Amino acid sequence: MGQWEDEFILDCGLRIADWRWRVEVQGNVRGSKRSLTIRNPQSAIRILAALWRLNLAEELQYRANFVASVLGTFFWIGTALLTLAVFFSHATRLGGWDYWEVVVLLGVFNALTGVIEAVLRPGIGRLAGEVRNGGLDLVLAKPVDAQAFVSFRRLDIWRLSDVVLGLTLAGYALHRLGHTPSLAQLAAFALALASAAVVVYALWVALMSLAFWFVSVENLSVLFDAVYEGARYPVSAYPEALRFLFVYLIPIAWTTTIPASALTGRLRPEIGLAAALVAGTALALSRLVWRAALKRYTGASG
Amino acid sequence: MSRAPLWLRRYAALIRNAWLVDLQYRASIVLWLLWGVTEPAVALGIWWGIAGDGQVAGYARADFARYFFALMLVNQLTIAWDSWYLDGWIREGELNFRLARPLHPAHEAVAENIAYKARTAGMIVVVWLVVSLVWPAVRLPLAPGRWALTAAAVLLAAAMRFFISFTTGLLAFWTTRATAIMELHAGVSLFLSGRLAPLALLPPAVAAAAALTWFPYMLAFPVELLTGAAQGRAVVTGFVGQLVWLGVWIAAYHVTWTRGLRRYGAVGG
Repeated sequence: MGQWEDEFILDCGLRIADWRWRVEVQGNVRGSKRSLTIRNPQSAIRILAALWRLNLAEELQYRANFVASVLGTFFWIGTALLTLAVFFSHATRLGGWDYWEVVVLLGVFNALTGVIEAVLRPGIGRLAGEVRNGGLDLVLAKPVDAQAFVSFRRLDIWRLSDVVLGLTLAGYALHRLGHTPSLAQLAAFALALASAAVVVYALWVALMSLAFWFVSVENLSVLFDAVYEGARYPVSAYPEALRFLFVYLIPIAWTTTIPASALTGRLRPEIGLAAALVAGTALALSRLVWRAALKRYTGASG
Repeated sequence: MSRAPLWLRRYAALIRNAWLVDLQYRASIVLWLLWGVTEPAVALGIWWGIAGDGQVAGYARADFARYFFALMLVNQLTIAWDSWYLDGWIREGELNFRLARPLHPAHEAVAENIAYKARTAGMIVVVWLVVSLVWPAVRLPLAPGRWALTAAAVLLAAAMRFFISFTTGLLAFWTTRATAIMELHAGVSLFLSGRLAPLALLPPAVAAAAALTWFPYMLAFPVELLTGAAQGRAVVTGFVGQLVWLGVWIAAYHVTWTRGLRRYGAVGG
């Protein structure tokens, strides 16, 4: 039921964006041979804006969800801090990090969780079901890039509160550390955090692409949760083998450990550039996986 | 007693049915299993680093390894998803046709639990056996008596967690946030049921408070029985605690079920 409503709203959004673009940019559509040039970036932004505006209008109807979401975040942060308290009651450092440094990392983790819950899970997280029941046909028939549309079609605005609360937590922890980041460190943090979001996105794309091979698996997003669980703590706290895994093979070290390190000055600001490089590579690889996966799609709807 | 064979036949059919349904979703079940073992694996990784070459409150690296392997197994054997199912059944009206059957819906849920647990716990046991060939730290001492006691404790814990999950799911008769309550419960159980750390590693006041709740009896007690950490009096109090809390949750289930059904206005067709 909810899904059909969503589909309907998305369709409307797309159509509105399309019409507007034709009217505003092309003027008279009739006779124009360029009626399908919707791939130009300006119109992509228009479509995105239209989709998100409709989402926003929809979400604003459910304001109680905002309260529930914030309460949930507070509960989660409280649990995470208590977890740390248990670890730190038996140790003075975790993988060489002291308490407030790990809290900075926790803030970063929470901010990224906000991005995941607001955009990725409600968007690309639904892919497995759509591959299974053929719903993807509707997406592929649209004159837009399928990966971009699948990925960014939804914005659960309330969950963005996690981003705010996470960054606030990181800021407070920095204050308790008595560390005032330099301009270079802040810039490196911003770059590393943006890269982290890209790496998380690439992981989602790569994992959800598995849906094209394992069609009967509906809970593929669980795979991401399992992997991401490891990002709650600095990678240096894990045994050697896991550390290798998290830095090089499933690059979740780059999602929390690196941005937090850039902010606290544990790593030199140049790490931001390395993070951007990793993010670019991950994005390119995930795009290749997506392309290869899409070729396997044969459609299932009747 | 003459009804025993009838129930045996009924359950054999229900379990077989649930087993065959699960068979279709093998890959999904493996993913849930993977999701279930990452939390203890991450906790083990952290404690492994903290313990170093020494001990933490009597736990050395090998003890942590055994504890968290036992935890993965016992958790898989006792986990119950029923509150999520019930929440959906009640909100979307699927409960209707289940009520129309000549069998209480709980029996079907129990059968599903048995089939699911047999499959996933079997996988963990195989992995554990393979790992213990190359990693002596996770080997358990050969003690059939203790294993028998553990089996009884696991059975009681599984029953308790089933009734907790089922009862919480029934709250969907009154609220739309029944699963949120279950997640709250999961958050508290992270500490009090020993998922994050053996209870001996929590502050003594917290561990003492935990002993007054049902949390340690649904996970930590069977785990410590299996690893051998629970000895003597602790075994007796553990079983007493399990029986008392199981009774309490059965009563809670009974009240919620009868009151909830009276309230239930069927949705859907």
